[in-house]
Amino acid sequence: MLQAEVEETIKRIQSQKGVQGIIIVNAEGIPIKSTLDNSSTVQYAGNVHQLLMKARGVVRDIDPQNDLTFLRVRSKKNEIMIAPGKEIIQKPKQM
Amino acid sequence: MFTDETLDLIGAESTWRKSHQQTQESRSCQTLPVHTAEAETQAKAVLDNSTQTQDQISQTLSLDQNICHFPGLLDFLHRAEDVVTKELVKNSKSHAFDGFEVNWEDQNESVSCMHRLQHVDAQERGLQVTSVSWNCTGSVIGCGFGRVDDGDWSNEKAYVCMWNLDRQKLNPKRPDVIIGVVTPVMCLCFHPLKPSVVAGGLYSGEVLVWDTSRSQDLILSQTGMSADTHREPVYRVSWVPGARRGEFTLLSAGSGGRVLLWTVDGAEAKLILSSGYALVQQQVPQSGAASKTPGITNIEVTSVALSPWDLDTFLVAVPPDGESVTLRAPVQFSFSTRGGPVHSVHFSPFHRNLFVNVGTDSLAHLHTVLQPRPLLSLRVSDSYTFGVRWSPTRPLVFAAATGQGLVQMFDLGRRSLRPVATIDQNTSGQPTYCLEFNPKHTNLMAVGNADGSVSIWQLSAELTEQGAKETAMLEQLANEVAD
Repeated sequence: MLQAEVEETIKRIQSQKGVQGIIIVNAEGIPIKSTLDNSSTVQYAGNVHQLLMKARGVVRDIDPQNDLTFLRVRSKKNEIMIAPGKEIIQKPKQM
Repeated sequence: MFTDETLDLIGAESTWRKSHQQTQESRSCQTLPVHTAEAETQAKAVLDNSTQTQDQISQTLSLDQNICHFPGLLDFLHRAEDVVTKELVKNSKSHAFDGFEVNWEDQNESVSCMHRLQHVDAQERGLQVTSVSWNCTGSVIGCGFGRVDDGDWSNEKAYVCMWNLDRQKLNPKRPDVIIGVVTPVMCLCFHPLKPSVVAGGLYSGEVLVWDTSRSQDLILSQTGMSADTHREPVYRVSWVPGARRGEFTLLSAGSGGRVLLWTVDGAEAKLILSSGYALVQQQVPQSGAASKTPGITNIEVTSVALSPWDLDTFLVAVPPDGESVTLRAPVQFSFSTRGGPVHSVHFSPFHRNLFVNVGTDSLAHLHTVLQPRPLLSLRVSDSYTFGVRWSPTRPLVFAAATGQGLVQMFDLGRRSLRPVATIDQNTSGQPTYCLEFNPKHTNLMAVGNADGSVSIWQLSAELTEQGAKETAMLEQLANEVAD
């Protein structure tokens, strides 16, 4: 049952407009679920984890009561959206 | 009578002893006082460091694990889904970034000629540059000299020359490496992984592999001449990925209708034939008129393009009825160009179905492998066109080398079909035979001319930087397959 629900949720997000792929990463930064191919997943997960930690550090440094809720990295070709919660990362693409 | 007598001593003085002394001289010298000084030093802190390369271990992911391993996952997903969906919707409606462009580097506004490389001996003998190739690191440009306009068997000695453009003391008139070759060189291709290994095909049908890192005899291996090898000029050599990762075999295509695959045997210095295809007129499926010549005739191969997407597929250009695509079995499909011999074919690095070809009909044709007729035909020049290459960075841009000594660059994203840039090689009307984009420094382009010179051009930012929607436009173009 749980498996099916998780798959459903991922499918719902994937069906949003412009989403290229979704990667779910655990607390250590290791991907546990992904809709992209293996090599891309590994690349994204590794790089984004470090960026997320740094961004979170910046926010809490400026105001210790504050915390990071969302991170968006916009590039020429697409955009990476990261929703931490216990470091979970997703990557949608915008046209 | 007899008495004792003592006489005085009588002595004779030595004459020579004195004169010896008189010729004696004595000299003495002494150095100036030597200055010495002492000093001591001692390192206060010592740091040790070492590096080592490591084999690339491909990481294996276990992505389909059971969800019960991750207890909090579902809760988290419920929370995150709302947030993410809201952001996605907002993003798709937002106009905040419309027209927003960022430039990290200085934009190069114009196309300029960086170097004009020549080999004086080859130019004096009137040899032409038949092919150019960059090595895998993008720092060395190699060119092969030969003749394209000669119809007869030629035994003229030719050269393969290389310049290292990253060296500071680059002398454009003197190549760094000059390899003498027995017959004219028709094609050249550097190894995709080893920066010093280069393969070349000759007019006599021989294929050679040189290794410029060797101090003596540069020939790594060669085919020699036998019944199995080419007997006609070899027009294209190319390195093809082999069975194992990191291994490459050499593909050569020549006039006799043969496309052969060779493995390099460094120990024996020979190229060993591993497989081959002979193109025969009977096997080519004709899309239009039936073949008029009876009997089996070998087809002349003028150009070969390897698909970067599908390792089993390559395009072979044959005159005059068109080209064919071959897989491991005999010819699978045939495309018509209706124009004349095809001089050059190139697969698009951005779309698996598209390729462009040029020939003697002064047009560049854009084809998809799904249909025999071209998708688009652009007017390139008033005479023959000898080479065409897609840009490695911009999916919609390709460059063509014409018989008038111009390189025309086209941008399929523009509405007008006229060239977006025309680069004059300054060869006073002599043709330009070949061009190659640098794989690492993608704003550099090498062009080989009939007057025996190689020009290195630095392209403007407009021609090399990819725009936002180019891949999508290319996809759209490829999908315009007529029903």
